[in-house]
Amino acid sequence: MDANASYGRALSRAFGGALLFSFPLLMTMEMWSLGMSVERWRLVTFLVLTIPMLIGLSYFAGFEPTFRLKDEVLDALAAFAVGFLLSAVLLAIFGVLRFHEVGTQSALGKVSLCAVPAAIGALLAGKQLGERDPGAREKAKAGPLGELFLMAVGAAFLAFNVAPTEEMILIAYQMDAVATLLLMAVSIGLLHVFVYQLGFPGETRRREAGGFKRTFLVFTAPGYGVALLMSLYLLWTFGRTDGVALHEIATMTIVLGFPAAIGAATARLVV
Amino acid sequence: MAGSRDTRRASPQGKRKAQSKTVSAGDIPPLEWAAAGVGLVLAASAIGLTAWDAMFGVKGPPAIEVRLQKVTATGYGYVAEIEAFNHGGAPAAQVQIEGVIAGGDTAGVTIDYIPEQSRASGGLIFSQDPRGGRLTLRAKGYTDAS
Repeated sequence: MDANASYGRALSRAFGGALLFSFPLLMTMEMWSLGMSVERWRLVTFLVLTIPMLIGLSYFAGFEPTFRLKDEVLDALAAFAVGFLLSAVLLAIFGVLRFHEVGTQSALGKVSLCAVPAAIGALLAGKQLGERDPGAREKAKAGPLGELFLMAVGAAFLAFNVAPTEEMILIAYQMDAVATLLLMAVSIGLLHVFVYQLGFPGETRRREAGGFKRTFLVFTAPGYGVALLMSLYLLWTFGRTDGVALHEIATMTIVLGFPAAIGAATARLVV
Repeated sequence: MAGSRDTRRASPQGKRKAQSKTVSAGDIPPLEWAAAGVGLVLAASAIGLTAWDAMFGVKGPPAIEVRLQKVTATGYGYVAEIEAFNHGGAPAAQVQIEGVIAGGDTAGVTIDYIPEQSRASGGLIFSQDPRGGRLTLRAKGYTDAS
């Protein structure tokens, strides 16, 4: 029974984390309209990819060096449940989900789209807020591939917060070629500085990667690449790339790559 | 989530044992199984239903039927509450609805979104009683939702 009670507490924390991470999106109207208009197969792909992403995140956010698939899968599924239920309840309270809509594809689309960021929040909070003394324990070590995975999740998460909005497209329209290149340089610069110079908590180990050139080639460049890929993937998922000229897609990707790069850089802060 | 770990952390001596390869099923509290079970059901149904809709759902462009619900005479005109139902297989955005009273008043409204197989409602405001003449309601156009 004691184990149940302590799991219950962790579950409540998970709800808190889900709320913290997802309320900006739950209160963004593009999320509601995208929930009903997103191409169905893209939504399916997105949801299917979410599960392994949560499992990987569960491993890296955990504090034990051993990978136990059963534990991670259980945690990932519980996080999805928390995210889904929280989104459904809040969207209903906000009047986004109407009673006659329940059970339709549009309602399901809205809830499941919002459930993804909420599930990430649930997972992180369930794991981390429970730690009484976070500094005392080493986080699960991540190899180069693991680091890249974490950067991808951080990039996707932060980019997701703004990707659905019209502003991404508008900013892309407003920027000329020079501004685009400048934004790209700023993104890469910030990514590098955030990760390897400032030394945020939990990031110290990464600074020991050798000289500047090596660090830049081995970590910063792939990190920005991952950020751009996640941006492009999100834009495609939300149908923002359909029928748009190639150079305009590139500009949008770079615009969204800005928050994505910051997300990639700071992923280790929260995970 | 962290719950099962909290219990292990409580007894540092037992920690090493808990980390060995075999983890007994009793290690995981029933509530954890339940939460994960709910998650599995929700994830599977969200993915399954969306995929089912993608494969077997209604195909085709929006087909919007506009119905009159109720007419109320107010001090500021006759309010005709309407409901638009999209029978088609694609969502419609910025749907323009027009109501014409034969030989008389015309009123219009734009509805932001009508998802496929769903309804949305609004109102048309006439200066004369639409119940008096023949009222025609129809959707005039839309943009693709995205």
